Amino acid sequence: MQRTTSFGSVIVERITGNPAASVVMVGSLVLAVVIGVFGGAAQLVNAVVTGGMWALLAVGLALIFGVANVPYFAHGESFMIGAYVAFFVFDPIKTYLQDNSNPLLFALGPFAAVLAAGVVGFALGVGLERLLFYPLRQRTKAGEWVMNAFLLTLGISFVIINGTTLVLGPNFQGIPYYWAVDPLELESLEVRVTVDRLVSFGIAIITIVALWFFLRRTRIGRAIRAVAQDEVGAQLVGINLNFVYVLTFGLATATAAIAGASLLSIFQAYPTVGLIPLYTAWYVVILAGLGNVAGAIAGGFIVALLQTATQQWVGIGWANVVPIAAMVLVLLIVPSGIFGSEVKGVQEQ
Amino acid sequence: MASTQAAKGNRSAWDTIVRGLEAVGIKPLGAVSLVVLALLPLVPPFNQEHMMRWLIMGAYLAAQAVAFDFTSGYINVVNFGFAAFVGLGAYTSAILANDTPLLIVQLGISPWIGMWIGALVAGLLGLGLGALTLRLRGIFAACLAWFVGIALMGTARNTMSLTRGALGLHPPRLLETTSNLPYFYIILVMLLVVYVTLRLVTRTRMGLAFRAIGQNIDAARASGINPTRYRVINFALSCFFAGLLGSFYAHYLASLTPDTVMHTSKTVEVLTMVYIGGRGSMWGGMAVAFPFVFLMNYLRSNLEDLPGLHLVIFGVVMILVMIYYPGGFAAVYDSVATWFKGRLTGERRT
Repeated sequence: MQRTTSFGSVIVERITGNPAASVVMVGSLVLAVVIGVFGGAAQLVNAVVTGGMWALLAVGLALIFGVANVPYFAHGESFMIGAYVAFFVFDPIKTYLQDNSNPLLFALGPFAAVLAAGVVGFALGVGLERLLFYPLRQRTKAGEWVMNAFLLTLGISFVIINGTTLVLGPNFQGIPYYWAVDPLELESLEVRVTVDRLVSFGIAIITIVALWFFLRRTRIGRAIRAVAQDEVGAQLVGINLNFVYVLTFGLATATAAIAGASLLSIFQAYPTVGLIPLYTAWYVVILAGLGNVAGAIAGGFIVALLQTATQQWVGIGWANVVPIAAMVLVLLIVPSGIFGSEVKGVQEQ
Repeated sequence: MASTQAAKGNRSAWDTIVRGLEAVGIKPLGAVSLVVLALLPLVPPFNQEHMMRWLIMGAYLAAQAVAFDFTSGYINVVNFGFAAFVGLGAYTSAILANDTPLLIVQLGISPWIGMWIGALVAGLLGLGLGALTLRLRGIFAACLAWFVGIALMGTARNTMSLTRGALGLHPPRLLETTSNLPYFYIILVMLLVVYVTLRLVTRTRMGLAFRAIGQNIDAARASGINPTRYRVINFALSCFFAGLLGSFYAHYLASLTPDTVMHTSKTVEVLTMVYIGGRGSMWGGMAVAFPFVFLMNYLRSNLEDLPGLHLVIFGVVMILVMIYYPGGFAAVYDSVATWFKGRLTGERRT
């Protein structure tokens, strides 16, 4: 029997199957065009680059929620730790480069910092899962898991933020730029983008694509998706749940740390730097649909577009209020999120 | 026999008191603690002004915890925008009390009246929000409540003509005194009013409906209860009291900014109190709030060279409680009390 589904029919099916998503996506594209035309290409570039950042953060959050059913409110802390690691790795490199010229180090040094942040982030996620979430899973009854896990992540957040303040101090630690080159310019469109922002966007996209590929094409990725769908079923086919949880946490925290590291020159590193990324990632995940990893990617860009449009035309003070008001309206119509939520085991609570 | 009859007579007086208290949900130990609490500010070292301030903040947090637990413990919905309702009551009352040309509203209404208007406004918003969102699963209502709270805080920050934004308001105080003592008794009375009212509600058939909805909404529906209607009533009541408490805060502290009242972190404070105290017990959050406020303030003032250590300790406590004692203080107390009573009755039998 031959399958005769054409590409076009799949698209039509997707659109008619989820009208809310289609409306929102078309609306966002229109908004992007409006921003580009009336706000200037620079604003559009700004929105897209920011969108990549939110998408990367939201993907990790959606992954943890979808697979381990944990409302992870310490995600910003992985971002923060990534930023600090990148700082401590790159600062000596930067000092060295001031006196000696080494083109290879100049070009690749920042990537070493980002990579180091990713490794440390992964280790952090693995550690948290084994030390804290594993005993919680052993001891909690099914009905109380969500709130207990949520409060556990709050406790983790308090400890990490204030522990960092204690040990490293509350001051901003940062670098003015990763690459001491002029920003890239496109005179005709009045666009100036610093190399740092461009590369951070590139890193975000590459990481998202790599994660996507991992989840879709590898066996372990399939195992993760299976656990996200149905834990018991996954166990029945012989998937090691603990391994999947550890890996998922590690991946999520690693992506957040990579985000924090790649944005070091823009956000700097200080104990509470992760809070805004945390809240925004949560807005994206709630809007896109709890646990929906693909939706989180699109949602990141949508939220960034909304924020940019608001800043441009309503005022900077309203940058969070208007997008959130819009999200409230969307959620009243489609409460499970635009792209549909895939929460398992959250009982009627 | 004469002696037993005399004994019965004595016991019945005591019994009436105990039964009267239990009818309003106060166990003997709770009554004793309340009396101790009421007398505490008259006893050194608690009669210092800063200690009394801590007591007031403890009672304020305790009352909020009771109102919060009414929703999270009974209908199993976490009102993650709780602080926004508190702030709404605070700002309503403060704006109505204003009689200076700083704001466009200059009504100069007395805070004692404005308090109730603030509570009403918060309750009405809770009613509206609940009606819109409580037909969904609890987690979606929680997310929406959070978003509405943030939008409210952002609006408060940005409407200078009404709220003076981040500059804040300085509402008039409830009383003309500079001492903290009368304020403590006011908030203590408010705490009692909130607790007793909500306790009595949980003892009615409506309270039974709440519990049924919280435990198994489908079974409740099958028994003929309209879950949405009861959830909305519960939510609105909780928000009403949140607004009332917010008004107290505004007219006690006399200084109000959006971030100090409406921020998500304020909801988190109340939330953690409720869960560490024991969700669903209503009194657990109350009991834990006082030592918590004292401990945090004591640590913060005595560990000035180690900033944030008190929050690290708090975080560690929260982690340990959630992993090892998820039922909270109330569950631990109940198990200890049962064990104790078991030992007592056991000994009497032998």
